[in-house]
Amino acid sequence: MKYIPKKIPEGINVTSRHPLLNFAYLLGTVVAVSIFIFVVLGFVAEWLVIRVSPETETQIGDMLVQPALDKEITDDKRIQYIEELLNSLLIPGETTRLPLQVHLINNDVINAAITVGGHVLVHTALLETVKSENELALVLGHELGHFQAHDPLKSLGRSLVFLTVSSILGVGMSQSGGLPKIIPLTSELTNLNYSRIQERAADIYGFNRVVKHYGHGGHSLDFFERLAKGESKLQKVSQYFLTHPLSQDRINDLNAEAAKQGWKMEEEVTPLPQWLHCSNMKPCEQAE
Amino acid sequence: MNNKKEKNVILTTLEGVPGQTIMEHYGLVQGSTIRAKHIGKDIMASFKNIVGGELKGYTELLQESRKEALERMVEQATELGANAVVNIRFSTSSVAQGVAELFAYGTAVKVES
Amino acid sequence: MDALVQILFFVVLLILGYFWGRYFEKRHYKSILRREKKTLNIPIVNFGAKQSLIDVQEAALFAGSVVISIDYFKMISAAFRNLVGGRVTVYESLLDRGRREALLRMKEDAIKWGANQILNVRLETATIGGSSGNNSGPGSIEVIAYGTGVK
Ligand SMILES: [Zn+2]
Repeated sequence: MKYIPKKIPEGINVTSRHPLLNFAYLLGTVVAVSIFIFVVLGFVAEWLVIRVSPETETQIGDMLVQPALDKEITDDKRIQYIEELLNSLLIPGETTRLPLQVHLINNDVINAAITVGGHVLVHTALLETVKSENELALVLGHELGHFQAHDPLKSLGRSLVFLTVSSILGVGMSQSGGLPKIIPLTSELTNLNYSRIQERAADIYGFNRVVKHYGHGGHSLDFFERLAKGESKLQKVSQYFLTHPLSQDRINDLNAEAAKQGWKMEEEVTPLPQWLHCSNMKPCEQAE
Repeated sequence: MNNKKEKNVILTTLEGVPGQTIMEHYGLVQGSTIRAKHIGKDIMASFKNIVGGELKGYTELLQESRKEALERMVEQATELGANAVVNIRFSTSSVAQGVAELFAYGTAVKVES
Repeated sequence: MDALVQILFFVVLLILGYFWGRYFEKRHYKSILRREKKTLNIPIVNFGAKQSLIDVQEAALFAGSVVISIDYFKMISAAFRNLVGGRVTVYESLLDRGRREALLRMKEDAIKWGANQILNVRLETATIGGSSGNNSGPGSIEVIAYGTGVK
């Protein structure tokens, strides 16, 4: 038996495919599939979630709103004022599927939000910044629009889907290596993320109600205009910008809507009660 | 892994020792050692896990341990009065995180030329 | 902001892993090919129980082993592959390098001793756990090749 030395050719056990191409293919597939799953499940979740009974919604809402009520101010007449203003925006005889609860939060970030279960959160900084009742009414009307469209619930449903999909991805990944946790998942549940379409619908809804209430839309856009121009202390409104990407476009949209519907935009301003502007440092009773 | 210093016990993966005849069989002998990697090598290794390449520290550590396993197997064989171990096999298994068992086994025999 | 830093860190590691890993691999393959060519004249033969032992003077056990680490790029590629399924091509070269390196080390050791043949070679692969603390899968592989050198 004779031994004949021969060299084994390369590339039989090792695929000659370029590793970057391979990586791009994998990344593309994983991203595409997860986006697809996310979108499909997102729609399913939205469809399911608006069929949740009001009782269940209340329970979920009570659970989720707790952390936000850290600095809640109770027993203040500003709350009653906001509640009355909010209710006046409803068409007479109309009821919401849940009673709306107004919470006044001691916070110097200009913000207002509505959560699952009809909790309206109003930051004190917002009350210090608005200059007329019309402005405040539009902000509240906008939030009311979100509520009537089930937007907080839909957002929650999408967040749940997002959590599920990303944890499935995480489990798959952790087998070998593990990606960094790119998205802080826990905060995702309480974040309210609305699409532009939802924001626009809420804008129109709120604007409509403001016009119905005052008979005109005059001065209600002033607050948004001031924000868009950056007149207010910008660092403090950043939160509002984050959750509500406000732009001149939205103001233009609303002006266009007013023109289309023939709503009057140049009318008398409804003033705020004097004591609404008092800061939290000095109790409102003293300012009166 | 040379056999010279091990009291002339011949080690082989063959069924017998070339040029010699097996006179007596003493059965299976085995040597094992369980080792943990240490932290210094681990730091280097975690860096290497990013850029790739050979982990020389680990290679040496495992070679040393395997040698120990082999020595233990030879010790068993000499106790039995064997002068060769044939059909030697190695195996490695991780017992716990960062702990590995290195194992060598073969058949102890007495050979004569 | 925090997420951005994490993503940046991730991408930097990925790039670092890719270029360094590729550099090491290329260099390693170059050395493997050179040494394989040099040692090609020594045959490695595995044979069974029915074949009679060849007629030689001396026999000794030789073993060669190597621990090779994966790089970050390979690790992430494999993690994605874990979701998609199919051939993990990035690991193929890793194991190929390991086996050939281990065989070469055994061979070179045996040649130094004066072997003219290496018989009944066995190969074994084991995974060595990942970097400290987190048990994040295979950090590196160990390959051992062992056989009997005869002269
Ligand atoms: Zn909104």
